[in-house]
Amino acid sequence: MKRLAGVNKALHRNRLGEIGVEERKNAVRLTGKVDSREQYLKAGYIAAGRGYRGVINDIEVNAGGEGEMNLPSFQDNALEGKHFNVAVVGGGVIGAAIARELTRWNLDIVLLEKEEDLARHASSRNNGVIHPAFAPSPGTNKAYYNCFGNRLFNREAAELGIKIEWPGSMGLFTRRWMRLLMPFIRHRARQNGVRGVEYISPEKLKNLEPHVNRRFWGAVFFPETGNVSPYKLTIAYGENAAANGARVFLQTGVEGFTREQGRITGVQTNRGTFGADVVINAAGLWADRVAEMAGDRYYTIHARRGTIAVLDKKAGPLVNYNLGVLPLADTNTKGGGVTLSVDGNVLAGPTAEEVPRREDYSTSRLDIDFLFQQQMTLNELLRPDHAITYFAGNRACTFEEDFIVEPSPHVENLIHVAGMQSPGLTAVPAVSREVSRKAVDILSSYRNVDPDPGFSPYRKPPIELSRLSLEERSRVIKENPSYGRIVCRCEVVSEGEIIHSLQSPLGVFTLDGIKRRVRAGMGRCQGGFCTPRLVDILAREAGADVRQVRKSGPGSELVLKKTKGEVDYTGFKLKGVPGKKEEENSAADRF
Amino acid sequence: MQRTDFKVDTVVIGSGPAGMAAAVAAAEEGAGVCVIEREERPGGILKQCIHDGFGLLQFQEKLTGPEYSYRYLQMVENLQIPVLTKTFLIEIQHEENGFRLILQNESGVFSLNPRAVIYAAGCREKTSRQVFLQGTRPAGVITAGTLQYMINIQGYLPAGKCVILGSGDIGLIMARRLTLEGAEVEGVYEIKSEPSGLTRNVAQCLEDYRIPLHLSHTVTEIHGTERLTGVTVARVDENFKPLSGTEKFVPVDTLVLSVGLIPENDIIESLGVELDSRTSGPVVDQYNMTSLEGLFVCGNALHVNDLVDYVSESGETAGRAAAEYAARGLNHGDSNGKRVNLTPGNGIMYVVPQQWKIPMEEETVFYFRSRETVFRAELEVAAGNQVICREKYPVLRPPEMERLVIEPYLIPPGTKEIQFRLRC
Repeated sequence: MKRLAGVNKALHRNRLGEIGVEERKNAVRLTGKVDSREQYLKAGYIAAGRGYRGVINDIEVNAGGEGEMNLPSFQDNALEGKHFNVAVVGGGVIGAAIARELTRWNLDIVLLEKEEDLARHASSRNNGVIHPAFAPSPGTNKAYYNCFGNRLFNREAAELGIKIEWPGSMGLFTRRWMRLLMPFIRHRARQNGVRGVEYISPEKLKNLEPHVNRRFWGAVFFPETGNVSPYKLTIAYGENAAANGARVFLQTGVEGFTREQGRITGVQTNRGTFGADVVINAAGLWADRVAEMAGDRYYTIHARRGTIAVLDKKAGPLVNYNLGVLPLADTNTKGGGVTLSVDGNVLAGPTAEEVPRREDYSTSRLDIDFLFQQQMTLNELLRPDHAITYFAGNRACTFEEDFIVEPSPHVENLIHVAGMQSPGLTAVPAVSREVSRKAVDILSSYRNVDPDPGFSPYRKPPIELSRLSLEERSRVIKENPSYGRIVCRCEVVSEGEIIHSLQSPLGVFTLDGIKRRVRAGMGRCQGGFCTPRLVDILAREAGADVRQVRKSGPGSELVLKKTKGEVDYTGFKLKGVPGKKEEENSAADRF
Repeated sequence: MQRTDFKVDTVVIGSGPAGMAAAVAAAEEGAGVCVIEREERPGGILKQCIHDGFGLLQFQEKLTGPEYSYRYLQMVENLQIPVLTKTFLIEIQHEENGFRLILQNESGVFSLNPRAVIYAAGCREKTSRQVFLQGTRPAGVITAGTLQYMINIQGYLPAGKCVILGSGDIGLIMARRLTLEGAEVEGVYEIKSEPSGLTRNVAQCLEDYRIPLHLSHTVTEIHGTERLTGVTVARVDENFKPLSGTEKFVPVDTLVLSVGLIPENDIIESLGVELDSRTSGPVVDQYNMTSLEGLFVCGNALHVNDLVDYVSESGETAGRAAAEYAARGLNHGDSNGKRVNLTPGNGIMYVVPQQWKIPMEEETVFYFRSRETVFRAELEVAAGNQVICREKYPVLRPPEMERLVIEPYLIPPGTKEIQFRLRC
C-alpha cells in the first residue's frame, strides 16, 4: 500500500491528482480521464519504476485514442481444430526468430501474423543497426540481451545467408571536455560487456571520417556496431522456420484465447480456433492487447515514432562509420544520426516522437526538417536532395522502457516478449534463444521434448546479381536467362531474382513483398520505371488477373480497370507509313 | 542470339529520340555505331506518348510519339545500325584509348570497347517524397510517366478519381488521357502562380475538358493506409509555404505527380564528369562532349527539354562530333584547354552548352530558359563587357526553352566568358 501512496503523491505533485490508482496482480493500474496525450504519458511514467511489475495505463484521453488494431477482415477455417505445441503471435523479427529457434526441437510450431507479409511494422521500419550494448543502463534486460545478441549476430547472419557489416560507430563529442568522460565510458562499457571502446582525438576523427562536421571534439569509437537489413533478416528467419517445418500463417489475427484453469487452451483467429500448448506473445505494438486477451496484462505499450530518411547510394562513399552524438544521459531515443546500410544507402535518423495512433506511419514536415537540420548535418557533405525517400516506424515502448522477456506467473503457458524497442533488433538472437528455452521448459514439465534431427540452421541465400563477379553473373544468366533481364534499373534487379523471391515458402505476392526481398523499387526512381513491369510479373507468376495485384494488404490493388480488353496484337499491321511495304510494318515488332 | 561480333567505335546508350538521332548522325559520318537499349523495343519514352505534336521542327509535321520514333527507327535500319535491345549497361570504365562498357542481356555478360560513347539515357521523374510530400505511403500515388506507361502501353487504368499535382506537360497530357479513359480528374494543382507546361497543353488538355487548374496550390499530405483515401491541398504563399487555414481534404483514390524530371546520369557520374547544378546534367561543350574526352551526352540526360525536336537536334550534334572524335581524336580544338564559358546572367536559369571550345569554327546552337515569365523581354548576349547579340521576345516563359544560334565571328578574340542576360 506504501507503493500505491507513493504513486498517488507523485501524481498529485504533477497536477494529475484526478487519476485513479489501484493495484492489480502486482501491477499498478491508472484510470480516469485527461485532456492530452502528454498527461497520459506523464502519468504512465510517474507510475513506472516504483516496484510494480508494470503499469496498466487505462486513462482515457479526451483528445483521441490510439486507434484500433488493424485486423484481417476475411474469415476461413484454415486453422480450425488444429493443434500446435507452440503458437507464436506476431511475425516481426522477434516472432520469426523465436519460431525458427523452436524448430530445432521436434515440435509443431505455428507463427501467426495479421498482415500479408512478415516485417510489416517495426521490423521493416528501422535503420538496421546492430548496437553495441553501451546505451542501456547496466543490469537491465536491454543491456543483457543487447550484449549477447550482438555477439551472436555474425553466426546468425552466416547461417541465414544475410549480409552483415561491422563499420563501427562514432559517438561524437559535442564539448571539448567530454574526452574527460573516457574513464566513465570505459567503466560503463565493462559493466555492459562492450569491447574495443577507443578514444578518437579530433585529428584522428578528421582522418577516419573526413566529412564529419567540424564542430565535434573527437569521439568514442565502438567497433561492435554493425548493420543488417532488418526486413531481409525477418524474412530469412521466417523462411528458415518454414523450411524446418514451422507453419507460417499470414493475414491471421488473434481475436481471443480460450482459457481453462489458468492456462490457454485455444487460440481464436479469423481463420479458426486451434489448440496450443504454449503461446508466445511477440505482438509488438499490440503486445498489451494480446496480453489482455490472454488474461495477463500488466504493461502498456505506447508508440514512439521514428522517421528515417534514405539517402541515395551516391552518398555512400561520403560516410565511413555510423555517426551519432554521444548522449550525456540515458535517453529513450537511441540518439539517431547518420548510419550506413548494407545496401549502400546512407540513412539519417531516426527521430523520436510520441504518437497516439500505434499503426499511423505518416511522416511530417517537422520530422523531416529535424532530420535534415540536426542529423544529416553530422556529415558536412550530405544534402537534403540526397534523400530519395523517407519512412516512419513506431517503437513499441513500455513505461518501464525495458524489454519484457518472461513467462507469465498467472497464465502458466504464456510467455511475454514485449517492449522490444531499440536495441530490440540487436537483441533478437539472444531473446529468441531465451524464449525458446523457456517454452521448452514449460513443455518439458509434462512431456519429452527432443531435438529435431532434421533441423538445418542454414538458409541458402538467394542469388543477388549485383553482388556477383562478372564471370559468376554470366554463368547464372547462361543457366537461367531470366537473370539477364533487368527489371529494376536503379537497384539492378533481374527478373530471375524477382521470380525466385516469389517462390519463397512464405508465398507473398505483393509489390512491397518483392521490394523487401530483392529491393526492386527501392532505388532513386522509387519504382517509377519497374512498377508496371512488376505488376505484370506478379500477375503472371501468381496466375492472377492484373487487377488482383496489390501493393501490400487487401485494398491496395493497383490496377482498377483494363482499358483494352483482351486484344491480340500479333499480326496487327501499321498501315500507311510511307516508305515501307505493309508486311514490314508489323506493329508488334516495333511498338 | 544478338550480334556482338561487330566492330564499333561509337556506342550510343539509349534508343530514344536523342540516341537514335545521335546514332544516325554518327553513322552518316562513317562511324561504326551500335545502340544499347535496356527495354524490349527501341523508342524510349516516345513509345508511350500517343498524343500528337511531335516533329513540327524536325519533320514539319505533327506526329504522335510512336510515329516520330518510327521515322528515326527507319533511318537506323536503313543505315543498318545494330540496336541491342534488352541490354543493360552495368558499368562504364574509362580507359586509355576509350571506354570499356560492361553490358548484360539474356545471353550473358559482355563488353564493348568504343572510342566514343554517346550517353542518351533520358531522365526520370521526381517522386512524392522527392518534393517532400508528407503523410502515408499507400497504393494510388503514381508519377505521370508511370501512369502513361500503364494506360498507353499496358492498357491498365490505375486511377478512378484523381488529383494531379504539378502542371508539367506530362501532367497536363495525363489529365486529358485519364478523362478520355473514364477516370475523373478532380483538378490539377500547381504550386507556382503559373502553369509549368506548354500553353498549348493547358488549352488542349485542361480547358477543353473543363478540368480546373488551381494555381498557387499544392498537396500537403497523403492519406490512406492501403489505397489512397484522399489528399490535403492548400494554397501557398509566394515562398511556396502552405497557408494555414486554407487546407482542404479532397477525397480521391489516386494522386498523379508531375513535379519535375531529373536527367539521369548516375552511371557516368561515377566517372567523375563535371556536372551543372542548374541543369542536373553534365557540363558540355558545343559538341555536347563532357569534361571527359570522348564521352558525349545529349537529349534529356543533358538537360530536360520540352520539345522532342530539340532532343533529336542535340543528338545529331553529339553524333556528328562523336564520329569525328572516334575517327580522328580531338582535332577540333581544346588541345590547349582554351574555351569560353557560357553563363546565365540576370533572369536566365541556364544556358546549354556551357562551354564553347576554341577554335570556334561553326555557328552553335544554344538553349536557354528564363527564370520567370517576362513579357517583352530583351535578351543580351555579352562577351566580356561587349554586347554581341540582342534578341527580342514577346514573352519568355520558364517552361518554354528558347534556342539561339550564335555565329563565332561575333566573339571578340580573348573572350573568356559569354553571358546570357535579360535587359532590365
